[in-house]
Amino acid sequence: MPSYLKPVPTPAATAGKGSLTTKTRKLPPTSTMIVGIGASAGGLEAFKAFFTHMPADGELAFVLVQHLAPDHNSLLAELIGRSTTMPVLEATHGMRVEARHVYVIPPNATLTIASGVLQVCKPAPPREHRWPINTFFTSLAEDQGDCAVCVVLAGTGSDGAQGLRAVKDHGGLALAQSGFDHEAMTGMPANAVATGLVDAVMPVSEMPARLLAYQKQMHAAQQKKGSDGVRGDVAAHLKTICELLHAEIGHDFGQYKEKTLMRRIQRRMLVVQAETVTDYIEYLREHPNEHELLFREFLIGVTEFFRDPIAFEALRTIAIPSLLADKTSEDVLRIWVPGCATGEEAYSIAILLREAMGSQRGLKVKIFATDIDDQAIGRARAGRYRAPLNGISPERLERWFSKDRDDYCVAKQIREMCIFSPHSVIKDPPFSRMDLVSCRNLLIYLNNDLQERLVQSFHYALRPGGFLLLGPSERLARNARLFTELDKKQRLYVRRDDAHTRPRDFVSMHPRPFSGTEQPTPRHVEDPIDQQARQALEPWSPAYVVINASHDVLRFGGDTGRYLAPSTGAASLNLFQLLDKPLRGAVRAAALQAFASGKQVIRDGLTVSLNGQERSLRLIVEPLGPDELRDDGKVEMCVIAFHELEPAPHSTDPTTDGKPGGELTRIQALEDELRGTRMQLHAAVELHETASEELKSANEEYQSVNEELQSANEELETSTEEMQSINEELQTVNVELNSKNEALNRLNNDIRNLLDSTQIATIFLDRELRIRSYTPKMTELFHLRDGDKGRPITEISPRINYPELKGDVAQVLHDMAVTERMLRGEGDAPTFLLRMRPYLTFDNIVDGVVLTFVDITESQQLNSEHARLAAIVNSSRDAIFGFSLDERISSWNASAERIFGLSAEQVVGQPLNILLPPEPSEETRKFFVSHERPTRLAEFDMIWVRPDGTSVPLAISYSPVCDQDGTMFAGKLIARDVTERVRAERHTEMMMAELNHRVKNTLATVQAIAQQTIVNAQDLPSFRESFLSRLLALSHTHNLLARDAWLGAPLSGLVNNELAPYRPDDVRTNDARVRLQGDELILPPKHALALSMALHELATNAGKYGSLSVPEGRVSVTWTTRMQDQRPRLQLQWTETGGPAVVPPTRRGFGTRLINEGVPYELDGEVTLEFPPSGVTCTIDVPLEVVS
Amino acid sequence: MTTESQLPCILLAEDEMMLAMMLEDRLNASGYNVIKAARLNRCLELAESASIDLAILDINLAGEQSFPAALVLRRRGIPFVFSSGYDDQDVPEVWRNEKILQKPYDTRQLTAALNALRAA
Repeated sequence: MPSYLKPVPTPAATAGKGSLTTKTRKLPPTSTMIVGIGASAGGLEAFKAFFTHMPADGELAFVLVQHLAPDHNSLLAELIGRSTTMPVLEATHGMRVEARHVYVIPPNATLTIASGVLQVCKPAPPREHRWPINTFFTSLAEDQGDCAVCVVLAGTGSDGAQGLRAVKDHGGLALAQSGFDHEAMTGMPANAVATGLVDAVMPVSEMPARLLAYQKQMHAAQQKKGSDGVRGDVAAHLKTICELLHAEIGHDFGQYKEKTLMRRIQRRMLVVQAETVTDYIEYLREHPNEHELLFREFLIGVTEFFRDPIAFEALRTIAIPSLLADKTSEDVLRIWVPGCATGEEAYSIAILLREAMGSQRGLKVKIFATDIDDQAIGRARAGRYRAPLNGISPERLERWFSKDRDDYCVAKQIREMCIFSPHSVIKDPPFSRMDLVSCRNLLIYLNNDLQERLVQSFHYALRPGGFLLLGPSERLARNARLFTELDKKQRLYVRRDDAHTRPRDFVSMHPRPFSGTEQPTPRHVEDPIDQQARQALEPWSPAYVVINASHDVLRFGGDTGRYLAPSTGAASLNLFQLLDKPLRGAVRAAALQAFASGKQVIRDGLTVSLNGQERSLRLIVEPLGPDELRDDGKVEMCVIAFHELEPAPHSTDPTTDGKPGGELTRIQALEDELRGTRMQLHAAVELHETASEELKSANEEYQSVNEELQSANEELETSTEEMQSINEELQTVNVELNSKNEALNRLNNDIRNLLDSTQIATIFLDRELRIRSYTPKMTELFHLRDGDKGRPITEISPRINYPELKGDVAQVLHDMAVTERMLRGEGDAPTFLLRMRPYLTFDNIVDGVVLTFVDITESQQLNSEHARLAAIVNSSRDAIFGFSLDERISSWNASAERIFGLSAEQVVGQPLNILLPPEPSEETRKFFVSHERPTRLAEFDMIWVRPDGTSVPLAISYSPVCDQDGTMFAGKLIARDVTERVRAERHTEMMMAELNHRVKNTLATVQAIAQQTIVNAQDLPSFRESFLSRLLALSHTHNLLARDAWLGAPLSGLVNNELAPYRPDDVRTNDARVRLQGDELILPPKHALALSMALHELATNAGKYGSLSVPEGRVSVTWTTRMQDQRPRLQLQWTETGGPAVVPPTRRGFGTRLINEGVPYELDGEVTLEFPPSGVTCTIDVPLEVVS
Repeated sequence: MTTESQLPCILLAEDEMMLAMMLEDRLNASGYNVIKAARLNRCLELAESASIDLAILDINLAGEQSFPAALVLRRRGIPFVFSSGYDDQDVPEVWRNEKILQKPYDTRQLTAALNALRAA
């Protein structure tokens, strides 16, 4: 049973309202429906959307409550006024709410409503107590009852949820704003939905239509309601609905107060928009889900911590001290909170007790909190409550709750005092031996019979002297005798012990019918011959009956009908009730005698009147059963046979003849008979006396036995009930344990999955190195099998080399500190980082070690790769440096320091654009200033000016550094010093120009040679010879010059070249014909060319006409250098001897002209060419230029 | 060196003896008196003081450039033509407008250049 919502306002909701008393009206006077709309951050958009879709002709009035800054003038009214044609007013005190008007909460104020009139109270309470939406919704609910409508729009926090409960409690409608997906928006709407009471979650744009439809329906419904606000037609169908609910959910609401149920059904009808009750029943049948919703609607409960503080005060001051006083630390204090709903009351009592117990720590407290609503029980078990918690003081909040984001969690020590379980106080047997039963605001929902029954249950459940706490408007009524009133106002009672009650009519207490039926006694099968004989003899045998010791007939035999005459009254098999009265005395006497003696008794002389005829009868009483038993007088059965004799002749005759002898005989007979009768009487009297005595004592015995049985029975019943209660309690504990077990299982699974999925080899060892558990990855390090758990790790052969294991474990256990060790694999085996830490139990006790092996092979490889790359970068002759995404230089290698003239300390961390050179090219500027960079590679040149003023040409190449997804996370630049390259380029350029120049000059020279040779040639063959040999001489000199890159050519080489045709092959040294003498001298190209031409002409002339034309001729070439006017000069002497006598030439040929004229001209020197008869001599004296 | 006063006199600045000889022959044949210079100082001397009508200046005279001589000639109003194995591009900007004979050149080119000078 839940604790139902009280009809009185909650303390928090009314707090701060001061004198604004509210008179609850069941029905608003008009059909205007007041819609309270609450919003916070983001609410303006929602308000606008709402009013854009809301036509201005409905019978609706709107009150908007927004979280406003207290010191800020709100423009809310104006802003919303643009979205609707309805007047939008800022609420003022005393303003009456009218249809088609919108009222907006003013800043720094508390807004409530009373009798349809707005109440504004300024200023607003401090921020921590400011819940304007809750406050307004609550007052709206109290003022408007089931006509109240509340809408929770966008906003952060949980304001509105508490107020929404109040609205629902009074039967109003609650809507919450949905996000894009029909789920409630996070923040206020989600918190509102979390109460489980919101009727619809929908987009703002759909709300107006819903509200209009609801208003119309409400209006129509009100026409049908009676004066008490209940529709007449609901009552007629209440039974049907209750039956449907009973069938589907299993809870019978038949004994609940009709009006409450009817109001709640009406509420559901409005929500599902059912016109008539029959429509609703139809809906109920078609939507199985609706049963559950209606059930929840019936169970709506608003409960809070320390609700009715005065009642708790009474509990604290009266009941609890008395309870604690009786208890020792060994005892268990047992409290039952039926109808605990979401557990607030149970926890409140637990807190009270814990506070009151103080030092009495040993005392155990069990608070059994039960409810039929298992969802509520689930919430109670969780012990999490959404802030704010009303009714609880900040000290208690601090002490007994821990804050977890928006929720408060009940402290563990409080939580452990409470056991929550689904249980129906009506259906299930009650608990027993309780010290306190707190059942508040449950009875008011039940009819008188049920109330009476429950109070009796509570009386039963309480131990003698136990306390009962009821709600403020509940009383004991007819059960007043069971309890003594302690606090009349707060409904605190104490159990009276003089009254006895036991719980009645609990469904689960009715004994089940036995499943098996009694076995029928097997019938004796009669032999057919026996049967036939018996049938034949039947007319001849006497009638008989078999009786037991209590004279009940067990068998009838023969024609007993003659002697039996059933008497009036209750049917009985007692023989003496059946026998003919005249026979009773005799038979009783004989039977008693037979039972007493165990011997046969035969009585004669009995007469019986049959069909008007006197018959003489012999009575035979024969005890049955074994002889030995009969001897002991223990007779269980007797057979009594009635043997009829032939009518006596003397008895008939005297009556007919009337003779005197006959008279005498007759007198004699009569006397005999009298004597017999007297004896009989005497025996009978004796017997009667004995029997009477016996009966008296038996009766006394029976009475005491009966008494005992009665009390035993009483005890048994009590203990049965107790057993049932204990059973109930055990089940409760079991449920609790089960749910804990489930939670543990789940955690266990989570941990197992975590361990399996980590891929980190982990092993748990106890103090003796025995394996506790390990992850699958561990099998790669040790040869582990499933059966190895419990074995010492030292017995398992490892796949890694780790002999120090034992020592390390001892170290960790000793130091209680984490140890790390690198385990290097050999060859390709992976490298592991072993981290060993103490295994701590929940109580922080070291109970072994945990080893984790992390495969760091890859990371090691990466490290060495990184080191290699770093070495490359550092040793590079190029400047290599990086920068981060925020354009700051992140690295700077040694060459960068050298090339840029800036140290790493100067640049790392500085913006990249400090490297912008003084005169940047457009490309450089783009890179450094406007950051226009390609996504891949970029190359450009720039000239950097170092701080010392020197400049250096640089080739820059840039590449972005990207991660695997191609996202750039840094940049890298390489700057190469291209000074050498630039120099080489320039040199090449110069060389090309020089070469061009030289070739052209050479061609010009060739042109001149050709020209001069033609002029001096007599014929073509001689031209050809001279020309070709001159070209060849020129070519040889070129060869010599080229050999030394046109820097110069050795003079001896020139001479040898020209004289070579006149000497044996390969002779380069002096011989008989040619003699060279002079220092090794390198001539500059100009000198070399000019001198070689001169030497060629001399040699040709010698070969044709001079000393080389004859074998005995000689040529001597000598040279010296000397200084004149501080300039070196070369003097070369050509002398021919031994040749034919020389005749001076008659004509001045080309050769002579070249030697005499050309050489001095070109080399600025002097030449003397003479032709004495002994041989040609030539002296060349020219200044030398210093060969660089 | 013989000079005949009635013939026009030409200053030939050329350091290559073969070329100088060939040009001298040609110019003589064309009716010019030729005075030669293989070095810049000699060339400057002649440009300054000799009685000359025309000049052919090889830009490169044994490693020295003949532009100073060209300045003198310009000052004296004596028409001249450069000759060079270098490309036009290697000639300084201020002399770009002057006539340049690209080595090697033939008689026809020489004659045409000289005629142009004389006509100017």
